[in-house]
Amino acid sequence: MIPLKYNFRNLRVRWVTTLMTILGTGLVVWASVLTFGLVDGLDHALATTGDPLDLIVLRKGANDETSSSIGAQAAREITNLGGIARSPDGQPLCSSEFVTILTKPRRNEGGTTNVIVRGLDPVGRLLRPDFKIIEGRDLKPGVNEAITSRSMANRFENLGLNESIEINKIGFKIVGIFSAAGSAAESEVWTDLRDLTTSQRVPNAISIINFRVDDPAALPTLVDRITDDEQFKLKVIGEPQYFEEQKSASIALKFIGFVIAGFLTVGAMFAAANTMFSAVASRSREIGTLRAIGFRRRSVLASFLLESLVICLLGGLLGCLATLPFNGLSTGTANWATFSEITFSFRFGPSVLLRGMCLALAMGLLGGLFPAIRAVRVSIIDALRQR
Amino acid sequence: MKLLQYIWRNVSRNKLRSSLTILSVGFSLALMTVLYGYLAMQEAWGKAAVKRQRIVVMNKQGFSGRMPIAYVERVRSTEGVVAAVPYAWFGGNLQEEQMPFAQFGTDPDEVFNVWNEMKIDPEQLATWQRERQGCVVDRKLAEKRKWNIGDRIPLQGTFYPFSLDLKLVGVFDAPQYTDSLWFDWRYSDEEMRKVAEDQAGNAGTIFARCASTPIMPEVCETIDTRFANSDNPTRSQTEAAFAQMFTDMLGNIQEYIRNIALAVIFSLSLVAGNAMAMSMRERTTEVAVLKAIGFSKSRILSMVLGESTMIALLGGLLGIGAGAACLQTLHGISAQFFPLSIYQLTGPWLLGLVCVAVGIGLVSGLVPAVRAAQLSVVDGLRRVI
Repeated sequence: MIPLKYNFRNLRVRWVTTLMTILGTGLVVWASVLTFGLVDGLDHALATTGDPLDLIVLRKGANDETSSSIGAQAAREITNLGGIARSPDGQPLCSSEFVTILTKPRRNEGGTTNVIVRGLDPVGRLLRPDFKIIEGRDLKPGVNEAITSRSMANRFENLGLNESIEINKIGFKIVGIFSAAGSAAESEVWTDLRDLTTSQRVPNAISIINFRVDDPAALPTLVDRITDDEQFKLKVIGEPQYFEEQKSASIALKFIGFVIAGFLTVGAMFAAANTMFSAVASRSREIGTLRAIGFRRRSVLASFLLESLVICLLGGLLGCLATLPFNGLSTGTANWATFSEITFSFRFGPSVLLRGMCLALAMGLLGGLFPAIRAVRVSIIDALRQR
Repeated sequence: MKLLQYIWRNVSRNKLRSSLTILSVGFSLALMTVLYGYLAMQEAWGKAAVKRQRIVVMNKQGFSGRMPIAYVERVRSTEGVVAAVPYAWFGGNLQEEQMPFAQFGTDPDEVFNVWNEMKIDPEQLATWQRERQGCVVDRKLAEKRKWNIGDRIPLQGTFYPFSLDLKLVGVFDAPQYTDSLWFDWRYSDEEMRKVAEDQAGNAGTIFARCASTPIMPEVCETIDTRFANSDNPTRSQTEAAFAQMFTDMLGNIQEYIRNIALAVIFSLSLVAGNAMAMSMRERTTEVAVLKAIGFSKSRILSMVLGESTMIALLGGLLGIGAGAACLQTLHGISAQFFPLSIYQLTGPWLLGLVCVAVGIGLVSGLVPAVRAAQLSVVDGLRRVI
């Protein structure tokens, strides 16, 4: 085994080249990790929402909440079904909700897009993960008040605290800001069910019913009971499955992410190979000497591979570190499933950073392999004879 | 000419290094071509819409709002409007596929006056106007799905609480792939009346064609003013602005793509510069000899810069070619997201990418070139590498 010191000293002697290669691979890893973090954030916004005991009732044939509608009669009967979990104060955890999309302008001339406005019963808050008001207060039913999340308030005109959003010519005052563990609820504006249906002039309209079963064993019977009812024409899906289906929203972004990472990694691989080839070429006499004093071929191979790995991993580390300022940065894009804006934050969790480092590893290994093979294939005599 | 030959000899001297640099520039520029091609496609799509003199009228609240069918007649009678039709997005599922293509309910008598650039066989059009359950599709869509005239196309409603049983009666030719199916709006309205009386009579959006481009803003304003105090205020805009709305929905993604591209350019300059510097370091003695026999500083400078530019340009052209091929493949796979083929996209942005390649070459060659030009002959000859 050739001592590591040999590699580090070599890197230090050619410090300009080393630094340039580190920076080059670092930038590539940075761009890739940024993309992975974007996709991961979007996935997270859709994924944390699902509780396996929470069910969503939709009209048969509807793909998502915004395209569903449920008759008032059916809604009443579902609310009265047995097997629905109760809140600590005895209320059934079953929320009738009306969902509509409104076209609203983003702040700072960011163009217009569709915003989900949801009217729901107060009990609906218990069906969201970690729902809490973080600023202002919760809305009062009957007086046209609304609440929304911090990211929506920052992102859209008229959604800040104490501002007023217009729904069908009626102003709804934003009285509070809520958080819900980064779930899809944080991409919505909430108001009272009756207030919303009245202003939209569709009294008693209901889009979906959201409820929690108290016993996992009773879940299949309850699902069958609702699905099989000829009169209802409804379907029930578990919340995790509902959001799983919406993940198609992130497929386009994922695709872009992998294309970017793929192209860049291959490009960076060639760059690393270039550096290592030149390292091998300019050190052929050294390689000859190493072989002459008894180091084995595989030691030389390992040594050069290691050197390339060190360069790329340092670059990878730098790239990962450079993404940290973006951590938690909030952004948004179109969720084509609901045809509306979904807000989410960049997330650089261990898996995302690991993927970035894997890219760096691949660059180092593949970029270093061929130069290292060339290094061990030179005959000792030839190598020593070079000037 | 001699200089060019000398540069080429230098480029092809270390074939391995040059081709690695070319490949690394090529791959990254291929990526940039795909990214920028996508942005250019969005822009060209919007621009193409301007020429058609079409405006879109929708409920001020957005797509979920109601657009009473009576408004169509009133838009049609507005001064400056040539033709107007209801245009309702159906968004149905075909068997197991969720919204596999666009489906719109519209008016068979007028729709080809609004989309006057689209062509259909007059006989097929007459059949469609006669048969309530008939539908027409984009020829390319029919070819993709291997549909023939007379085929049944059952669509399950998603937000419409009923299904449509359509029969293909015609195909139309559009200058650009639309991925669309058109059926008679009245058919879906009749079905709606059976299920939910109070929701019937909704035109969705209204598409209208104006007599000329300059009057479009005025027509939009006239329409919006007229409906401002009704139960359903409208928002009218040109088709280009309408298309822009969908691009806007994607949000900061475009900005993000541009930032990634900047990072790529920067890292490329480093990579190519590094390779060039390595080459020049190995040739120190050579440069000193050149200077000793009387080559001027500027000559040396242009030689090195020429070499780095040639390498970057080769990589750039290769990459742009590969990226264009990628775009063409993507267009073939999904015309919904990539609406234009590469032949419709040739524009200044391609030239811009070539400039980027040249720029990378110049920047990457700068430091080695200046170093070589400044090299003192004595030092250079003495140096051992």
